Amino acid sequence: MTLLSIQTIFYYLAAASVASALLGVTRKNPVHSMLWVLALFLHVAGIFLLLGAEFLAAVQVIVYAGAILIFYLFVVMLLDLSGELTRPRFGRHWPFAALAGLSFVALAWFSRFVDSVDGRLASTEAVATGIPESSTDAGALQGSVAEIGKALFGPFALPFEMASLVLLAAIVGAVVLARKRIVGP
Amino acid sequence: MIVPMSVVLGLSAVLFGIGLFGFLARRNIILMFVSIEVMLNAVNLSLAGFSWHLGDPRGQILALFVIAVAAAEAGIGLGLVIALNRNKPGAGVADLTQLKW
Repeated sequence: MTLLSIQTIFYYLAAASVASALLGVTRKNPVHSMLWVLALFLHVAGIFLLLGAEFLAAVQVIVYAGAILIFYLFVVMLLDLSGELTRPRFGRHWPFAALAGLSFVALAWFSRFVDSVDGRLASTEAVATGIPESSTDAGALQGSVAEIGKALFGPFALPFEMASLVLLAAIVGAVVLARKRIVGP
Repeated sequence: MIVPMSVVLGLSAVLFGIGLFGFLARRNIILMFVSIEVMLNAVNLSLAGFSWHLGDPRGQILALFVIAVAAAEAGIGLGLVIALNRNKPGAGVADLTQLKW
């Protein structure tokens, strides 16, 4: 595929993810919000694919879109949220929230020009980590799934096991919190 | 390099800002959690972007751990929502004022 069409795909995915994120946080019906956020997750998975993170894209689709969001949808449908449609969706303080979001975006937007991320960061990091700068070209992460596997079971084995403990604690906590307490004598 | 790194970072910043706005403005606790997920996705996007830019898989590994923690957070958070819903129907944060006084 030519570079131009890949860029077109990237800008489509970027625009669609911004639009679906905006719709996701502003829709009144919680189920509609969830479906827009699902669209956001799938578009972000596409961006991950373009960025050479195939494994991350697969995890994004399977875990985020397939498990976490469906879990949210189940809880939305489990609760009776019909009152949600008649009440205001935002608190009265929403202009301040919009200001906070916009000022964060402005801060990040301007700070990314301060150090000229495209040029200097790459060279300084390459010196700091010993990665040759030629590896920053697209396609540098050829076979990134194998690399991720080696890193996960090599230097990151301890954090990987800790993640399983965190998930176990979350499972136990969720069961303890959500189970129905039987009031006995 | 298909797009400049700054474009990826700008997209990540915009998504994070949208998530921040949603978290601060929404009154429904479930949609506040979903806004947190939007913010975590924005962070994952910039991690994957840096990983691609620097040719280093460690960014992707950090993003994987972020996803694992997001799953744990979703489980605990929604368990709390169900427990709260047993005391007081609905999911509005404005109703949860028992700890206020």
